[in-house]
Amino acid sequence: MMLVCSALLVAAVAVDNPILLGSIAACALALLLAGPGSKRAYLIFAGTSALLVFLINPFVSVQGLTPIWHGPHIPLLDTEITQEELAFGAGAALRIFASALAVAAFVRIADGDLVLNGVSRVAPRSAMIVALAARLLPTLERDAAGIALAARARGATASGRRSAADLVSPLVSLSLERSLGLAEAMEARGYGVGPRTREPGPPADGPERVVTAAGVGLCLLTSWLLVFGGGNYLYYDLLGDPVTAAAIGGSAAFAALTAIVIGAVRWPR
Amino acid sequence: MAALSFMHVRYAYPGMSQPALDGVTLDVEPGELVLVVGESGCGKSTLLRAALGLVPHFHGGELAGRVVVDGLDTRDHRPGELARHAGLVFQDPESQLVAQRVRHEVAFGLESIAHPPDTIAARAQEALMAAGASHLTERDTGTLSGGEGQRIAIASVLAMGQPLLLLDEPTSQLDPVAAEELLALVTRINRDRGVTVVLAEHRTGRLFAEADRVVVMDAGRIAFDGTPPAAARHLAGGGRWMLPPVAQAFAAAGREELPLTVRDARRMLGDVPPASQPPPEAHGTRPVVSVEKAHLRRGDTEALRGASAGFDPGTVTAVLGENGAGKSSLALAAARLIELDRGRVRGSTRAGYVSQNPSHHLLRETVEDEVAYGLERSGVAAPERAARTTAELDRFGLAAFAGRHPRDLSSGERQRLAVATVTVMRPELLLLDEPTRGMDGLRKLALGELATALASEGTAVALITHDIDFAAEAAQAVTTMAHGRVLADRAPRSGLAGGLFFAGQVALATGHVSVAEAAEALRAGTEATRV
Repeated sequence: MMLVCSALLVAAVAVDNPILLGSIAACALALLLAGPGSKRAYLIFAGTSALLVFLINPFVSVQGLTPIWHGPHIPLLDTEITQEELAFGAGAALRIFASALAVAAFVRIADGDLVLNGVSRVAPRSAMIVALAARLLPTLERDAAGIALAARARGATASGRRSAADLVSPLVSLSLERSLGLAEAMEARGYGVGPRTREPGPPADGPERVVTAAGVGLCLLTSWLLVFGGGNYLYYDLLGDPVTAAAIGGSAAFAALTAIVIGAVRWPR
Repeated sequence: MAALSFMHVRYAYPGMSQPALDGVTLDVEPGELVLVVGESGCGKSTLLRAALGLVPHFHGGELAGRVVVDGLDTRDHRPGELARHAGLVFQDPESQLVAQRVRHEVAFGLESIAHPPDTIAARAQEALMAAGASHLTERDTGTLSGGEGQRIAIASVLAMGQPLLLLDEPTSQLDPVAAEELLALVTRINRDRGVTVVLAEHRTGRLFAEADRVVVMDAGRIAFDGTPPAAARHLAGGGRWMLPPVAQAFAAAGREELPLTVRDARRMLGDVPPASQPPPEAHGTRPVVSVEKAHLRRGDTEALRGASAGFDPGTVTAVLGENGAGKSSLALAAARLIELDRGRVRGSTRAGYVSQNPSHHLLRETVEDEVAYGLERSGVAAPERAARTTAELDRFGLAAFAGRHPRDLSSGERQRLAVATVTVMRPELLLLDEPTRGMDGLRKLALGELATALASEGTAVALITHDIDFAAEAAQAVTTMAHGRVLADRAPRSGLAGGLFFAGQVALATGHVSVAEAAEALRAGTEATRV
């Protein structure tokens, strides 16, 4: 699953073609939705970030040769909106949306213990950070709910901008306290002293082999798009034609491989 | 060779002038079960951290003297190396579980000390069985209850096979049943497997009699070190609240011989008059807040199933029940912090709720701002806000910390601050959800007195708690719950004396509800014998 999410993340960051970006975003979204647990916060974060980028870009970018609207003069802002600026904003928004969802899918779906074991072989300190993140995320969600409830009991609401900001700082402080406790517990159990051994896991079964193969396929597909430029696209000065064989074929391949992964995994409920 | 030795150990945390350990000298012999008691902040946790080298290697600070674990000096060996010789179970189950799945959690320590891979799975499974937790093997650690989490923490330590087990208030976050089970497990590990156990604990009930030695700590020093009966006699003078409740009653009655268990107490009780049945205490006909026929679903669970309960003005009401009985949901409904699916809440809207975790109440940069926050949000004018804030800081003994960051406070001080942030709003109903978690006996007494004082001012106070002994001391009425239903609403507290599940140690031994009542009866019994 690490391969699958990493391939989607790298592809989302590296390709420019809007058809491919849309396909990758859809794949990441499908993967996240298929997984267990609450996804609302991730969807809100990804959606809000993407919308913000889409709305801001036309007013800060001064490119494109196809104007579609002239606004009043406002210092520091470009009020001449071009078709190319809108398209670039939409592409950037898709990129943000897809990247955020690929990371969210990884956090929600990946087996933290396998990641910890894998990473700790090559980078023990980084593994500690991964473990802290994986363990603390659900705790963070519970703490956020607890802090919001306690604040509400004192007349504050989490919906107001100021009130929401009031709640962020205590949440960060509390999570720092918790991570310190976890790091202490890890050291108390011998972590970081020397080379670790690893309990041999059960041999990979059929579905696991399928997911691994699909992950490798996604990595190869991403590499191919990067090496041969199949994901390239020009937004400025004039929009290029997004409908290329590489974009259509690549999008279909992303969708097919992600569908195979979703179909193969036994999702916990 | 001693399993653990402290030799003239003095230690101060970084930036602190006051030492947390001050000249500690202590030997623990192999196979002993040593109980460490003392007020919050007396150095119990630091003592256990020093035994594993976390002090000073993890926390920093200056350590003088020597700590030797299984022949290894902690100055020369880091905690990771000492982890082969001693294991530490912390207070909070949530912040010590590292892995996502229980099986991997128990294997984690073995993998860290490079245990041969082929035997890790078998050893982990065996440790889970020894800890009575093999049924949890495939569970996600995020879904474990507090008691289950502590069992897994103990299994993780057992798996590593260290000869010394250190436990830092392992029951502080658990309900009485889970706490009893856990302490029975620890005793069994000590007796059957010969593992040396050093355990710091506020709930001394059962353990006091089971321990080989009791160490009393005070301000970083060892104030007493001896057998349980000798320690009980020592504490009867100036630290009665550290004794098991039944011994507290006998000590308060001036008895020389102190029972450490319910059975001992019953044996010694030939001359005590039986508890008289007082007339039922009438409760107010108009409660400040009443919850009527409440139904609520939270996630997959039906938290409330037609629960009805009221909270009378000027009364401290204990809401008792097992984990998942619906106590917190009832409190949240009464405070109007959750919407009911069906049913209604009547009465005052001025209800204050203090959650189980006082850290959730800490939102601001200073203690003073924290107390003033609710008033500010309610639009109270600045002069009145300042006056009420100052008064509340004084009342809770927090005036000296007014400029400090709330997170620099100890857990007991945080608890007081959390209550102050709500009482400053002058609620007509104050709901305290599990207020005694992690609290020592002295702080519980103070909390009970505070609840009584607030009630005497006319406030309805509700104590949502598992702590039967605390409820017996502090409450005037008792509401009991099970499976989302209210079994008894505002029943007389005298009912606690005859309870099967809802009965404290004093009630089980003497038939009287509180330590004070039992002590009075004991004194009366003594007088009668003299006559």
